[in-house]
Formats: sequence, structure tokens, C-alpha cells
Amino acid sequence: MDLHSYPHGEHGRFEQIFNQFLLKSLHIILDSRVPMNRPPSRGGEIRKSDRWFNLVLGDRPAAMDSLSFWNRSLMEPMVIDIILVQESRDSLSEHDSRSTLATEMPAETVIERWVVQYEHQRSMAPQIGDAFYKKTYKKSIILLRSVYSMLRLLPAYKAFRKQQSFKQNCGFEINYKICSFGSPLLRSEEESMKNYSFIPIDAQQGRLSVSVMYREDLSDFNLDSCVSHPIEIISDYVGSPLTDPMRAFPCTLSEKGHSISFQTRGRQSAPPSPFQRPHSWSSGLQRELSPQQGQPYSASPPLYRSPYEYSSSPTEAYIQRNQNQRFPANQKAPCDEILSPPFSSSPSPSPPTKSVIPFHNRRHPETAPMSIPHPMIARSPRYLSPNLSDPSRNSLPPLSPRNTKYDSSSHESPSGIRSIRRLDSARTGEMSNTPTNAGPKLSRDSKEDSGRFSSLLSSSSSPRVGFSRTSSRLSFQDDFGDCDCPFIVDDVDPPDNQTSSNLDARNCSEVSSLAPSTIKKSQDAAVGALVHMLKTAPALRQESCYYNTQSSKTEFEGEVGAASEFFKPRKTSDAFEELKVYRQMKDLLLSKSAAHLVSKEKTEF
Amino acid sequence: MNCEVCQLKELDVEHFEIREVLRCILHTILFHRALGLVRPKDIDLELFEITYVQCGDVELERKIDEKIDQFLDRVEKHPNKKNQICLSFYEVKNKQPTWFTNKVERLYWEQWYINLNVAQHQKGHSGKSTSSKIVVDPGAEERNVRRAALEGSLRDVLFQIIRFVNEKKDHIPPIPNLEGVSFPYEITISSSSDSAFGMEMFKRMLQTGHPTMLS
Repeated sequence: MDLHSYPHGEHGRFEQIFNQFLLKSLHIILDSRVPMNRPPSRGGEIRKSDRWFNLVLGDRPAAMDSLSFWNRSLMEPMVIDIILVQESRDSLSEHDSRSTLATEMPAETVIERWVVQYEHQRSMAPQIGDAFYKKTYKKSIILLRSVYSMLRLLPAYKAFRKQQSFKQNCGFEINYKICSFGSPLLRSEEESMKNYSFIPIDAQQGRLSVSVMYREDLSDFNLDSCVSHPIEIISDYVGSPLTDPMRAFPCTLSEKGHSISFQTRGRQSAPPSPFQRPHSWSSGLQRELSPQQGQPYSASPPLYRSPYEYSSSPTEAYIQRNQNQRFPANQKAPCDEILSPPFSSSPSPSPPTKSVIPFHNRRHPETAPMSIPHPMIARSPRYLSPNLSDPSRNSLPPLSPRNTKYDSSSHESPSGIRSIRRLDSARTGEMSNTPTNAGPKLSRDSKEDSGRFSSLLSSSSSPRVGFSRTSSRLSFQDDFGDCDCPFIVDDVDPPDNQTSSNLDARNCSEVSSLAPSTIKKSQDAAVGALVHMLKTAPALRQESCYYNTQSSKTEFEGEVGAASEFFKPRKTSDAFEELKVYRQMKDLLLSKSAAHLVSKEKTEF
Repeated sequence: MNCEVCQLKELDVEHFEIREVLRCILHTILFHRALGLVRPKDIDLELFEITYVQCGDVELERKIDEKIDQFLDRVEKHPNKKNQICLSFYEVKNKQPTWFTNKVERLYWEQWYINLNVAQHQKGHSGKSTSSKIVVDPGAEERNVRRAALEGSLRDVLFQIIRFVNEKKDHIPPIPNLEGVSFPYEITISSSSDSAFGMEMFKRMLQTGHPTMLS
């Protein structure tokens, strides 16, 4: 029976309706059960085939063209089997890894069987007439609507959606078989299937009927175990580019372009490519990937995952993107822009300490990377050149021109401000202890706090800074001279009394007036304190908070109000600048005060 | 012409589920009655694992959403009542004008009654979840069970619709419109204890020209 040459008359019209009905029902069933490799063509153009039964379905599947469909007789039913194909292994070979793959045989199970047929009834009087033809056609429209809706309610639709979303990662495939007779089913299969028959449509001399046998329960096939990505260990995890930006990303692409597990792909010898591995922090990398030729829809499951099935987990998205590597590098993944994970382009946060790596490289190896509080010398112009000119009078190194600009950025270096404040008050004699008893004063706050500040002062001041540290520690010079950092923070309380008594007799506003003994002790202590502070200081913000809590314990009441200035964010560049300043001051002070200290010590004792 | 009536299975829904449930049911019915040229559009429900089909008619979607909004307002105003939505298909008959009325007569040939029993307490994802974890956790399992039951019931309703549209075809009038929803329709909202419900029914009976009623 040729589709294009129907016999004229009523019989011809009915045959035409029936054949178109068969085509339409097959189109509906295949569209709803078997993912086809054809682009959706649902544009404005309505084809002639779409107008049949007033149901626009788009392009027919390519499989329909290859069927010798219209050579069938009117009496032959059209049986469409929807087959679920799963891989099953031979149980005997489970322990033999070599033969496991060889015995993997796909298990095919008919999960649905649609039968569209014309039931000829000789006893029925032939019904003719235009009205009957139109009525038949109208009922056919309704019947096809029902078939369309029913296909979405049956359990097999879920499997179809899974396969459509996950493609080859779902562990099963849906296939179909069309013939004029249904292959006999096993009794067990028949018992597990339910039957639904649509109300037949009275035709010319018979009835047009559609029925379906379907498996009500598909839980035996473990279709829900289908995941968008296999849970596997990423052997070549490269991490965030923020942690290691110079590291190239390897590319592990499958030769065949099949969707395979990430682990499997990792074993394949694909050349690494820094721009082909998608990352959770990057966007659009997988745009360079493309599906295998001839299988435009064999893209990775994430590319064609339905929106409501898409994972929102950053980890999952990262692994999903990794699975895109099965595409050849020279091809592009279609519709890749559709997938846009929530966290894809955002870089993964790098640990805060990583930002100190360059800083660490600049510093001496023995110094642990950490944030450096703002140097106290960088605030007041009083610490400028007079310090350089009179090292005996000033315990603090002169301000570098660079540090002066930190003064204007008052939001930065809160700890430095505090340090400067301490020195200010020390110099003005507001405190019982000397400024240099900024060291001793600091020590009253707490062991750690004083250690920090004392180390601060020592790093930027001459060894004569009155930090009450024991002299048994290594010198300030050693701090920057050796690989080891043996400075240990001492309890500065006892020396505080010493230095306070000593400094009371002197000009308390000037650090340089400290006794040589205390100066040397304070020098060492300052160095040790500085190192300890550098090693143990928390992050800038924490430091500022910590300083805030400790500020209430100090005797610098005037600084309490100003402590709020500490709580200003500081940058790594500020810390680098401070380090530079510290080194310069250290060198300067060492060169000027080393000999002087030794001579003074001898005179004192 | 007979008016075929289909009373759909009653569904116990919560307030936040009403919109999805009604959309699913109304669009499914209209898809089977939109015998003009349509582009079917698959819609996945967010709350349930159910896919239904729309006609792809934007105007239809707007009208349905409008009616659903009205229904939601009514539910909020009358929380302790069983609510019903009636989807009616009719033919327009130009009636000879009399001194009673010169309106166009509507001949209803099919009516669908969607019965919803809205839960009084508005539980849901926007409910008390933020108030206390202790309140939410014990009821989660119960909600899941209820949700699964509702999904099964909704699926049964959809099967019921398909069965009905297949069984009853002879009463359908000729297709007047070859585009989209081919038959004129109306959606009315009523509640069980509402006096207006009875009035609506009475009005409809007058319009359909029931032999026992005066026309």
C-alpha cells in the first residue's frame, strides 16, 4: 500500500487516515520513549505531516524513514516493543577479571508493548459518508491526544527521561522494535505487565484500536541508581588556580568520545591540555569540547541534563565538567552554554595563608609567613629623621617615606597604629614605664601581646629599644642572619620593673635613654618578641580584634579610643612594605648602635 | 445533546500545592479538548514526578493562571470548606431573543469537577521551617508520605481523565475552531457550603435548557 497513491473513494480515505494514524502514533511513541539523534525542529514551520490529527510533533525520527512501513497491509497490526537494555554479567565469571568483560551480555527486557491495529469486523456494516469520515477523524485526534498523555504517565517515561538526561551514564538503554507481530513474552514477563486498551474507534468496517502492555514496576532494573557522575576519586585533582595558578591542567579525553567514568578517562593516554579540563571555578572551558562525530547528542550527561535534574552541588558540577573530557579537543560541545552551574565561574576560595607565599619568599626562610602588623614607626612624623640623627635618643627607627603614606590610609595597619600610639604615650611620659617600655608596657597586656609588640619594636628599632627581654636570646641581628629562629618569648614582667625603674630616671619620652643593660636585653627581647609575634600572630583581622580585647588591659587609656583605628583591613602589600621598613631600620640601627651598646654595657657593669 | 459530567477524584492538597495540581489537571483536560492544531508542550511538575501536557497556547495559560489565582483567594477567604473548580465546555447557540433575555444561549456538553480538599494548616516549604528545627523534623516523614499519596492520587486523576475522554466521544460537537482550544469553555469556582455554588448550578441548568427548568 503506497502512502501516496490511495485508492479513491471512502476506502481510500479511510486507509489514508489509518496509515497516517499509524505513522503519527509511531512518531509519538518513539518521541516519548527513545532518545533520537535529531535536532528538535519546533520552529514556526508546520509541515503537512504535522497537520494530520492537529498535532505538531516536528521532524519524524530517522528510523521511521527506514521502515518499510507503507508496504504493510491494512490488516497487519503494528507492534512497537520498547526494550530496556541493561548490561548483565555472567555470575560464574565474577571472580575472573579477564573473562568478566567477555561475558557481559546485555539483558533486554520488554517494558512496553504498543499495538496499533485495525480490527476488521466483517459483521459490521460498512459505514460511509463524509460525516462518518469526519467523526472518525475527530475521534482519532482525541485518541492520539490520549496516547500522548498516557505515554507520559506510564513508568517507562521516567526511564526515558533518565536516559535522555544522563545519556550513556545511566547504565541502561532504551531500544525499540517494530514489527507486525509481537514476539511471545515469557510468562513471568506477562504476569508483571499490565494491560490498558484505549477505546477503539469505529472505522469503515471495523475498529481502530490502540492498546499497551506495560511494566508497572521498574524498580527491579535499578533505574534510580543512575547518577549524573560516578562517584570516583579524582586522581589528578589540580586544585584551585588561586592556590597554584602556574600548574597546568591535564586533559584526559576519551578516544572514542563515549561517556565513561572519570577514572577510566584518567587511565587513557590523552595528552594534557591546560585549557580543556573544566573546573568549577572556570566558565566556558568545556565549550571547546564537542560531542563525538555522528552523535551530536552523545554529549556528556551534564550538557543535556534536564534543568530540574541538574546538580547544585559544587563538587558534582566539578566532576560533571571533568566528564566532558570524552569529547575530542577539536570539536565543540553543542548547547554547552545551556548549562550554567551556580558556582561555576566563581573561583574557589584560597586559604588566606596562601597569599603570604610571596611574602614568605621575600622574607628570611626561617620566618613563618604571617601577617605583619603595621609598624609603629609609620605613623608619627616624630619618628622621622631625628631618629636617624640621634639613635641614642630614639628607640624607633625613622619613618621611611613609604610608610608615611600609610598614615593617610588610616584604615590600614591597625596594629601599627596601636604600636605608634604606645610609643607616643611612652614618649610623652604618660606611662610609668618607658616607651621602650612600650615593650614593658606591652608585656602587661599579656605574654603574647607584649611579645608581638616587642618584636614589632625590635624589628624596626635599634637594639636599644627598651624591651625587657632577656639577653640570653640571640641578638636582633641573628634574627635576620641565620636560618634558625631561636628566639623565645620571655615573660617580660620582671624585666618590666627593671626597665621601668631604669627608665624613670631618664627621659622617658625617648627610647634611646635606656640603660645599656636593659637596652641589650630589650634588643634581644625585642627581636625574639618580633619573631615570636611573626610566627604566632593570627590574621590581620583577628589580630585587630585581639588587640582590641587586649587594649583594655593596657595603661594607655588614651589609646583605647584610638584602638578602633586598628580595626581596619590591611593588605598584604602593606605587610611587605613594613617588612622592608623593618629590615632597613634593622640595618641602620645595627650599624649605629652595636659598638655603642657594647661600650655602654661595660661602663654600667 | 447530553452534558457529560465527570467528577474527578477528590484530592487532599496543601495550600502551596494547589497551583501545581490545578494547572496539571486543567491543562490535561484542555489538551484533550483542544482538537485544533496544537503544539504539545511537556511540563514537569516541581512538587511531583509527573509530566503533563499543555496545548502551547499562551492565552490559555494566562486564563488558567488567572482562575487559579481566584481559587487561591477564595481558599484563603474560606479556609474550612471543600473547594471545587468546574471546567465546562459549551456550545454557543444564538437564542431567539425574548422579553426575558436576549443573551446568547450556552449549551454545556461537558463538565469537569475538580474537587480539592485544602488542608487548613498551611504547612510547606515556606511555613514554619524557619521557626524551629524541632517543629519541622518530626513532620517531614509525614509530609513525605502525604506527598507521595497525593502524587499517586493526582496520577489516578490523570488516568481518570484519559479514560473519560476515551469513553465519551460521541457527545462532542463539531470542531468550530481549528486553532488551539477549539471549544469555548469556562472555569467556575465554588465551594461546598457556599450559597453561590447552588446559584451557579441553578444558572447553569437554566442555560442548558434542562427540561425540568423553565427557560
